[in-house]
Amino acid sequence: MNTADPQVPAPGDPLTEHPLLVGRHSDLEYSESLLAYVHRPAGRTWWGLLGLGLAGTAVLAVAVGVTLFVGVGAWGNNIPVGWAFGITNFVWWIGIGHAGTLISAILLLFQEKWRGSINRFAEAMTLFAVTCAGLFPLLHLGRPWKFYWLVPYPSSLRAWPQFRSPLTWDIAAVGTYLTVSLLFWFLGLLPDLATARDTARTPRARFWYGLASLGWRGSARHWRQWRTGYLLLAGLATPLVVSVHTIVSFDFAVAQLPGWHTTVFPPYFVAGAVFSGFALVLTLLIPARKALGIEHVVTPLHLDNMAKVLLATGWMVAYGYLQEHFFAWFSANPYEQHVMEAQVSGPYAPLFWLQMFCNVAVPQLFWSARLRTNVAVLWVAALLINVGMWTERFLIVVSPLSMDFLPSSWAAYRPTWVDWSLLGGTVAFFGTAFLLFLKWVPPVPVSEVKELQREVDASLRFQREHERPTGGAP
Amino acid sequence: MSRHWVLGEFASSDALVAALKDLRAKGFEQLDAHTPFPVEETFEALGLKRSKLPLLALGAGLGGAGFAYVAQWFANAVDYPLDVGGRPLHSVPMNLPITFELGVLSAALTVFGALMVLFGFPHVTHPVFDVESFRSASVDGFWASVAVDAEDAPKVEAALRELGARQVSVVAEGAR
Repeated sequence: MNTADPQVPAPGDPLTEHPLLVGRHSDLEYSESLLAYVHRPAGRTWWGLLGLGLAGTAVLAVAVGVTLFVGVGAWGNNIPVGWAFGITNFVWWIGIGHAGTLISAILLLFQEKWRGSINRFAEAMTLFAVTCAGLFPLLHLGRPWKFYWLVPYPSSLRAWPQFRSPLTWDIAAVGTYLTVSLLFWFLGLLPDLATARDTARTPRARFWYGLASLGWRGSARHWRQWRTGYLLLAGLATPLVVSVHTIVSFDFAVAQLPGWHTTVFPPYFVAGAVFSGFALVLTLLIPARKALGIEHVVTPLHLDNMAKVLLATGWMVAYGYLQEHFFAWFSANPYEQHVMEAQVSGPYAPLFWLQMFCNVAVPQLFWSARLRTNVAVLWVAALLINVGMWTERFLIVVSPLSMDFLPSSWAAYRPTWVDWSLLGGTVAFFGTAFLLFLKWVPPVPVSEVKELQREVDASLRFQREHERPTGGAP
Repeated sequence: MSRHWVLGEFASSDALVAALKDLRAKGFEQLDAHTPFPVEETFEALGLKRSKLPLLALGAGLGGAGFAYVAQWFANAVDYPLDVGGRPLHSVPMNLPITFELGVLSAALTVFGALMVLFGFPHVTHPVFDVESFRSASVDGFWASVAVDAEDAPKVEAALRELGARQVSVVAEGAR
């Protein structure tokens, strides 16, 4: 009889079979190597990139200024294409944030150890991406200074917002998303800010990290509550991964426009969100792990896992495309059919085929284990997927609008320089925020890496102590 | 009589856990551990109870969700009814997204707020920070702390040394 003996190491303990940490480092070494970049004065590359980012952010400021001064008329939007770049960028940015929440919350609940080294990056990315996303609907209001009309408050107008409209749902979804992500991020950061305080080399750094860590002293009583609280926030963030982009997709699905009015949108949007988010995490992580010298905790195995997620979500997205086109055909509705035909062969067809190439063809590279860990291939592929996902959002927003029911009301859409500057400007703003994050915030959860190292040590010790004589399989 | 903290640093988490158990057996009440990462065994050694946070979060979540639902119903069906193409003024599915989001939001805010209250944060001037070497508590040192009255401090100090602490320090409340 083969009963499970708890005293015998299980074959293939994932902690020892697939090492997530390269080499054995002491807690002191981890504290130093993972925080080295934060404590080091900024190098020339960092300043150069920051200058570039700030220049781009200045362009963003100009574009926002023009939008506020002239109005939404400064954009290329027209009738019937009333949404265009603004909503495309909103959906794209908010989707990117979802990888952060998935990595930090869902993978935490599943006890996937590999999340530990990359979650801080991904969460920071979420925060900045959601901030960029929030800008677009706000500007799109036309009178952004009246945004608070969307929030229910007892006003002298004696009117309430219309809660049967998905636009009010957006406010609740995006606001909740940003707040919960921020709390989750900061709570996870507290112990590491304390480590940064205690390894700081200048009194000034010690003061600021001391203030930011709120007085964390690693007390067991605190750790106990902290861990429960962190898991709870993870549990609360988990449904947000699914709900936020679902609600964003309702903006479309609730409308009656052909090409939008479809039930596949919520899952299709969520899969696309995770897909694009992982692509951006890879785009940023690959150069950052080298620059920060943290290749011992962000190993090829991490990259390999992320590439697998890209492959899987890539297929989900492909399935979404298939369903979209199938249902248009199956509905026997000439308007639906026309919208899908126009995507494949109409004026936006080059974009459609670009989307198919980037989002469906490129991820197929990751069937190969060698390509999954080839950083150059991975980086280029991730970049292409970012482009592909933006193209997808653009096609979803613009192509059905520009060709709806009545041919007499069709019109093409051309973005203006303000549209392009807003898109490019938010990318630059995002990059700037990310650079500051790398410089100021411990980029890898130091305490989690140490905890993982302790678990690995325990696994190895256990294995050594119970090493069977050769050939002694039960 | 001011409160004193006796702090002892141990080289490993195992040594710390053994020391905590021993101190507890010797009858010291106000024990704590300070570690760079959560060490499950210290929770047991200190006899910490289960956290009540999940219940609080559940309550706050349900409360927030209930408030959101009632607010939407009151706004659109009672106080400012707006007929949109003859659709029902109170329609359950249309109210669900905001109900859900607000439930999550209030639960998350409650968890974070409760943690800050439980920790007593922000509190950047706790007496333990007066010990310069206590910096290692977030790096690679495993510290035990015992809060006692001044006259008991030497006794605890001796006990910690006996248990193999690398270094022992005493700080007093309000010494600065």
